[in-house]
Amino acid sequence: MKSLWRNIVLRRGFLALGGASLSLASSRAPNVLDGCGCAFAPPAVVNHAFDNLQSGIKITNVKVFGVSLTPQSDRPYVFVKIETNQGVVGWGEGTLEGKAGAVMACVNDFRDFLINADPMQVEHHWQSMYVHSFYRAGPVMGSAISGIDQALWDIRGKVLGVPVYKLLGGSSGAIRGYYHADKGTPEAMAKLRQWTIEQGVTCLKATLPEYYEWIETHAKIERAVKSMQALREGFGPDIDIAVDFHARTSPSVAQIIIKEIEPLNLLFVEEPCPPENVGAMAKIARHSTTPIATGERLVTAYGCRELVEMGAVDILQPDINHVGGITGLWKAASLAGISGISMAPHACEGPIGAIATLHVDAALPNFLIQETCRPPMISTQDKIWEDWFGHPVMRTVNGRFRLPDKPGLGFELDEASLAKYPFSGTVPMERVYHEDGSVAEW
Amino acid sequence: MNAPDTSDLAIAELLVYPVREPVSGRSYTVVRLKTRSGLTGYGECAEVTSHDLATARQFWVGRAATSYSHAPESSVAGGIDMALLDIVGKACRTPIYRVLGGPTRNKARALTSVEGTNIADTVAAVKRALSAGYRCFNVHVPSPTERNQGQAYERKVRQLLDSVRSEGGDFVLDGGELLSPGDAGSVAATVESLHPLWFNDPCVVTNLQTIRKISDESVVPLGFGSAIHTPGTFQDLLRDGLVDIVRPDLGYYGITRTRRIAALAETYYVAVAPHHEGGPVATAAALQLAASLPNFFIQHIPFPPAEEDRKMRAELVSASVEQVMDGFASLPTEPGLGITVNEIALEKYRAA
Repeated sequence: MKSLWRNIVLRRGFLALGGASLSLASSRAPNVLDGCGCAFAPPAVVNHAFDNLQSGIKITNVKVFGVSLTPQSDRPYVFVKIETNQGVVGWGEGTLEGKAGAVMACVNDFRDFLINADPMQVEHHWQSMYVHSFYRAGPVMGSAISGIDQALWDIRGKVLGVPVYKLLGGSSGAIRGYYHADKGTPEAMAKLRQWTIEQGVTCLKATLPEYYEWIETHAKIERAVKSMQALREGFGPDIDIAVDFHARTSPSVAQIIIKEIEPLNLLFVEEPCPPENVGAMAKIARHSTTPIATGERLVTAYGCRELVEMGAVDILQPDINHVGGITGLWKAASLAGISGISMAPHACEGPIGAIATLHVDAALPNFLIQETCRPPMISTQDKIWEDWFGHPVMRTVNGRFRLPDKPGLGFELDEASLAKYPFSGTVPMERVYHEDGSVAEW
Repeated sequence: MNAPDTSDLAIAELLVYPVREPVSGRSYTVVRLKTRSGLTGYGECAEVTSHDLATARQFWVGRAATSYSHAPESSVAGGIDMALLDIVGKACRTPIYRVLGGPTRNKARALTSVEGTNIADTVAAVKRALSAGYRCFNVHVPSPTERNQGQAYERKVRQLLDSVRSEGGDFVLDGGELLSPGDAGSVAATVESLHPLWFNDPCVVTNLQTIRKISDESVVPLGFGSAIHTPGTFQDLLRDGLVDIVRPDLGYYGITRTRRIAALAETYYVAVAPHHEGGPVATAAALQLAASLPNFFIQHIPFPPAEEDRKMRAELVSASVEQVMDGFASLPTEPGLGITVNEIALEKYRAA
């Protein structure tokens, strides 16, 4: 009863501050930032609204780790570990390429939101982190919230004794995946083709070669089209081929190339132009029968809305490490599904986000395929992940990724095992330029 | 190093020099501003009415060159804008592109028009431009004989382009607002597989729905702008996805207003190729602009067929602003526009 009364008082005080009376505020800490008239007194007390609904578990610590597999890596993993008073811990990932330091700082900015909070209230904390940040989320804040969100889901699953995909209503099934493979020599491509058949892999994705200016020449367009024809010839007629344009092309250039590659029947063309202008993406889609996929740079379901609403894409590809974690990816998928749009989540960062995305995939009726940003053959990175998790995480069996079937995200991770790869600082992403020195999209 | 003094840049005098090329008859107006402190700035625009000149004098005399953003619109506004920025650059002892936050590139891709009444003439013009360093050519559509054309016209366009392409290089197909929207759509479909850089002014910009038809029917990039004197029309075209390259007229919009249109186009991933059919002072301004914009693509530079006209252009300005090598013009490095204007030549070529 007392807590209820206190909340009402706080609320009245809040409202009063917006008007003329400052009497309630003056009884609290003086407000030093009152110059603009927009700064309310900082909340001096914790929220007691849920005092009677506590699970009994409280967050006691939030740790953030930068993990650099190599000193040059532009995407040191940003891992979030949330500890509780019951000994249950949760892991999440908020890796943001080129901005590791900023995300780590942002996770720390959210400490006050989390310490002493009930980790079970994921949706509530997500809302608070997002709404109470006032400025809404860009990629830095989106990635920080994503890391925290995944860790909270991990905790909730562990506390409830349920794998996250089951919390989401998913079936245990295996998740169809694809690898990255660019055009190679005819021999290399033939070898790869044989390998995919043997391994049951059903899809490969290549990147559009070269960088493109706003308007392009005949020669450049011909080269682009030929490179994709070579993919079809090399990989054969039976495998699904996707091509990532990586926003290297303007809508004007993209629509020419995409029209000419229609006969190749690609599974999709990804990011045919940059992400800020949905109308521009829609224009490309209108000019081609080839499905268009995009979304890896979008933050929150709000950021995906216009794309879906305008029917500008066939396949949505948000990234669980930026879009807002499990909560954000699931919501984006839900609104896409209502419009018949499929999901092929982006995943080019670390293993925790990758595992979290598999959990969401398993619960999506509109799931198409899961990316993993690696070559078909086993790499050093796969081996490091295997050291950490006891299995290589993102290797397909019969063309499909397997889901851990343990509570939460389904793994144990030892902090000490990360210490072998200390944070070597933020490394910017690639910078490329055109012939005249001007900035190019890559 | 002493910081440049930009405290007294009040305009004291505004003069205009209308000039005309002897053979082509192309005319343009060079604008000269002087500050009380003695700095001179040059700009260029099309014909200026005496009323606009008087109004501009009244507005600018006594006002600082650094207030170039607050200029009223008129037939001389584009030229005055260049001249004001020329002064600001000179006062800051740096090229205009550096005043504006550039350079965004180290050279500017160039384009020139190849004119001819028949295929042989056009091919000869391409050869001339190739030897002058150009690698991109603006090719005009054959003059249509009727409002609506059929297959014979499509074949004529195709033949012309095949001949130009056989010389090497890339081309813009320029409709010059000569075609009806229906014909423009058919021509666009005909040339789609030839990959023109873009199809320029395929028809007159009036009812945007007629342009939508062209842009829906093909993927040939469309360029508009040479005759658009209402900036809001660029917004309309961009919003509806009807334009792939915007071409605000440099003499009309000047550097500043072209930058504003470019900023709008950038949010649509659309590039700018300023329209420029004037003289070498505007070419200098175009290069400054090119190095200031992130979404500059190519600059049209007039390259008159007559030797006499080319000589005049070279005489008007000291620096070799119109020299093109391997398809690119190099950036001026001197302060302001980076050129010295020859006032004796301005008098020599003064339009009667």
